[in-house]
Amino acid sequence: MTTVSAITKERAPSDYEPLPARPSTVVRFLRETWLLVARGLRTIPRVPTRLSDVTIQPIMFTLLFLYIFGSAIHIPGISYKNFLLPGLIGQSLAFGVIGAGVATATDFGSGVIDRFRSLPVTRLSVIWSQVIGQVVEQILGIAIVAGLGLALGWRPHHNLATIATLVGLILLGLIAFTWFGVLMGMVLKTPDAVQGIGFALMLPLSFLAGTFVTIAGLPSWLSPIAEWDPLSPFVASMRHVAQGTNATGSWQLTHPVVAMCGWCVLIMVICVPLALRRFATTAAAS
Amino acid sequence: MPSEDLVVVTNGLTKLFGDFVAVNDFNLEVPGGSVVSLLGPNGAGKTTIVRMLATLIKPTSGTARVCGHDVVKESDTVRSVLSLTGQFAALEDNLTARENLVLMARLRGYGRAAADRVVENLIERFDIGEFRDKLVKSVSGGQRRRVDLAASLVVQPKVLILDEPTTGLDPRSRQVVWNTIRELVEAGVTLFLTTQYLEEADALADYIVLLDHGRATAAGTANELKARIGDQRVDVIAADLAGMERLVAHLSSRFDVAPSPDLRMISIPAPNAVADLARVSEALKDVEVEIDEIALRRPTLDDAFLAFTGQPVNATNANNDTGLWAPDLEESHS
Repeated sequence: MTTVSAITKERAPSDYEPLPARPSTVVRFLRETWLLVARGLRTIPRVPTRLSDVTIQPIMFTLLFLYIFGSAIHIPGISYKNFLLPGLIGQSLAFGVIGAGVATATDFGSGVIDRFRSLPVTRLSVIWSQVIGQVVEQILGIAIVAGLGLALGWRPHHNLATIATLVGLILLGLIAFTWFGVLMGMVLKTPDAVQGIGFALMLPLSFLAGTFVTIAGLPSWLSPIAEWDPLSPFVASMRHVAQGTNATGSWQLTHPVVAMCGWCVLIMVICVPLALRRFATTAAAS
Repeated sequence: MPSEDLVVVTNGLTKLFGDFVAVNDFNLEVPGGSVVSLLGPNGAGKTTIVRMLATLIKPTSGTARVCGHDVVKESDTVRSVLSLTGQFAALEDNLTARENLVLMARLRGYGRAAADRVVENLIERFDIGEFRDKLVKSVSGGQRRRVDLAASLVVQPKVLILDEPTTGLDPRSRQVVWNTIRELVEAGVTLFLTTQYLEEADALADYIVLLDHGRATAAGTANELKARIGDQRVDVIAADLAGMERLVAHLSSRFDVAPSPDLRMISIPAPNAVADLARVSEALKDVEVEIDEIALRRPTLDDAFLAFTGQPVNATNANNDTGLWAPDLEESHS
């Protein structure tokens, strides 16, 4: 019983390191958020599926769609690379829901979140770190898609205003969909359920959103659905800002940037309060 | 009137999940430095009580105070004096043992250098050195539990809550946890322990609350509880079941015989202790039955459960409410 005797090396309670004075709530919130975000990011390279989610998977999809669809699809007036890449980025914003949902469900299920919540840390930092960590993780994926696209011949407008607008829209979209995902993770509770429902929801929406082919070219019974697909303005606004293309069709396609911002605000107005409320009472799993 | 010496005080504490009454009018006063054990089967409401004390869920009605601070109105203060070790060894699987401890230390407020010193001490104290740089997901269940306990002791809490600390552990790891608990108590920590093991409550706790279907059915020291169920007993174990049945047939006219066919055992109250043992032995001479064992024993907490709830501990072991996030039980990782 070596362990037992080792453990009896008890130190007097006075040996405990004194805790530094508590800083103000704002400082604590920032510090704790940072610690928790760092914890999440640190684990990415250690989880093969998460690593592949943000690296191999986007690379694979970009290559597959670019060369398989690209060889068959001809979009008038624009090269397929310039058509596809902004679309892929717009679509991947929405897929952030799944990553965020899975991470949230995993954390809550393992009791780690409860442990954090039982500590004297600001509670908002626990949920914000979840959102920020996921956004950073998705940004990695998007940066890889964009970088690969650029290397393969994607040519977006590259003035400062375009880039700033793109970055701003991407961040807005990511934050909105991540809140949606965090809520989903808390409601559905298991990573499998999030995966299942997330894909069932996002896959048809993203194929209908005009990511790979133009909405105008769809069969007449399908195009109205696609025109009002909530993901369509995300794809259309990326394309509009990056390439200057103007889509035709529904109001949300002719005003893609406004529509995208509208959807983001709507998602957040619904999901943020629900997620915070759910978080406050959380584990009251009932 | 809750004095300063009372570290945990609950008053009419009640929690409903929908229509389901998880905890029903739970009242408790825990003096500082003592070990209180909530003893009960799965679904008795132990974890729900723990979660209310740890400010993770709010009571439906009633109040709870930890070191004089209300768990709802002063939850942040409560969190700073209390440490929780939950049922499922809540650690980040993809961080190493050491990284987990450093994270906990930093979240408690230590700077980088101080956190490193605190963690080095914990690693030594809990004998974690050997697997300090292994990812937590790849260590054994016992090792994981040690890291988990260490994570709760980054600072010395006034109250340490251990929710089923030894469930799923091998006997050696259980012994380690028990020793740690005893040392903490010597250091003046008040301990709130839940367990399904009668033996554990008996070995560690100063005060035991028997919990059944959200209600405290009995409370007291182990000895008080044993005393309340009454007398010592004479247990006679037959060599086979047929023998046990013959014993029941022969002895039930003279004694109040309680048979336990699973154990091939009959149990007889023995208010006069040794004299009764002698009477039973005498009576056994008339019966041609092979006897494995005959013994006089004090009542166990098993008897207590049977006496207070009307059914043996394991009979109620079915539903698992406890307000946990994930209903599926995660067993030890060994």
